Amino acid sequence: MYSVIMLALCLAVVMLAMAAILSARYNIWKEATISGARAIIQLLILSSVIILVFNLPVYWSLLIVLAMAIIAGHTTYIRSGQLGGMFPASAASIAVISLAMVVPFFIVGIFPLEARYLVPTCSMMIGNAMNVSSLAIDRYRGELRNRRGEVEAYLALGASPGLAADHCLHQSMLSALIPSIDNMKNLGLVWIPGVMTGMLLSGSDPVEAAAIQVCIFIAIYLVGMIASNLLLLHATSSFFTKALQLKDEVF
Amino acid sequence: MPEPHIELRNVRRTIARKQGDDARSEVLSGVNLKVFRGELITIMGPSGAGKSTLLRLINRLSEADSGIILLDSSDIRNADPRDLRRRVGMVFQIPIVFEGTVRDNISFGKKLWDTNADIDALAVEAAVPPALMDADAANLSVGEKQRVCIARALANKPEVLLLDEPTSALDKASAEKVESLLLRLGSEHNLTMIWVTHDLEQSRRISKHNYVMEDGRLMEDHV
Repeated sequence: MYSVIMLALCLAVVMLAMAAILSARYNIWKEATISGARAIIQLLILSSVIILVFNLPVYWSLLIVLAMAIIAGHTTYIRSGQLGGMFPASAASIAVISLAMVVPFFIVGIFPLEARYLVPTCSMMIGNAMNVSSLAIDRYRGELRNRRGEVEAYLALGASPGLAADHCLHQSMLSALIPSIDNMKNLGLVWIPGVMTGMLLSGSDPVEAAAIQVCIFIAIYLVGMIASNLLLLHATSSFFTKALQLKDEVF
Repeated sequence: MPEPHIELRNVRRTIARKQGDDARSEVLSGVNLKVFRGELITIMGPSGAGKSTLLRLINRLSEADSGIILLDSSDIRNADPRDLRRRVGMVFQIPIVFEGTVRDNISFGKKLWDTNADIDALAVEAAVPPALMDADAANLSVGEKQRVCIARALANKPEVLLLDEPTSALDKASAEKVESLLLRLGSEHNLTMIWVTHDLEQSRRISKHNYVMEDGRLMEDHV
């Protein structure tokens, strides 16, 4: 058991070193190394904490989920260029939509209401919502910067910021959702995702594993789409002044 | 003596020299200007002199650092920015058409403000051929796009039209068409117009009230 752990960790470190070397070409070696090192340490801590949480009453799991949503919200906030008011907005949208989408799994009885099901399911929703939201907000800022002339042409006619930025928001959502759509399209053809892999490895019925996986996958897509859409709608006002001018300082 | 339609009093505007830098350069250094209703004035000057910035301040796409801009004797900062922009239309140097047909573009302001503008009549006035009305606006020539933008601005029924080098991106033939079109529309709709140009000949041809912007200051052009 311990030898497997050591072997896996050693392999992870070697691969991280390779990733860092290759990332240097794109000048992101520092970010890639720190992210990889954080992933190793965080997962080791999580695996220790999770043993404790799984033995505690289920409401303790909600605290873990809340902490995950706050960290995810902070990551998205940083990606947004630290726009004013975006930290609470991103954390709230990720937390609320993720929880709302997880609840039906427990109500209809697909999963029993236990920490070992609640925490991983929520983490998948939160992680994807964070990824899509970060991509969307980053792209939204870029779209507004690159299409400034068009946005100002709308404003100059008296359009509201929401209307002026609508095309940028639309394009940002599309771009952010492309990876999720491609993943969904190729589910089972190109890759077998985590839940199904875990269930198959633990000896579950493949059809049952597939049914649960597809349900989770669509929920993940919905969470990403709704959370990022809410976030972008909220973010629009942060890109404009009270006099409905595009802010220079956020670009 | 009537009150000016637009008046600028000691207007200053600075911009950051570099993104995120605190150091700022003064683009407009105390500009004073009076424009009366129905009047057409031109502003000339080299690139970077602050001509476009001045127009952007009048319909509040940008904010002045100090000074006052009055429209009908009222400080524009007291007006709803959207309503101000409906009254003060703007035509840009590079025509930007929105996604959709020519008709969608020209009727944008009519839908937004529920004006009673006759879109087909406006298109004819702006020399946009009826056959083009249902064409994709993205496929038009630059000259046609500029005419669509002018018609789109007029569908808002503005009192003032700010023209930021509206002919400089066009070839000679299109520029002449757009110039005469703007002069005719300005007169027919009794528009107050501020026309920014870098073309001295054009400036003197289209108006008797010419100004020159240099180093952030506005001076009368004495022929």
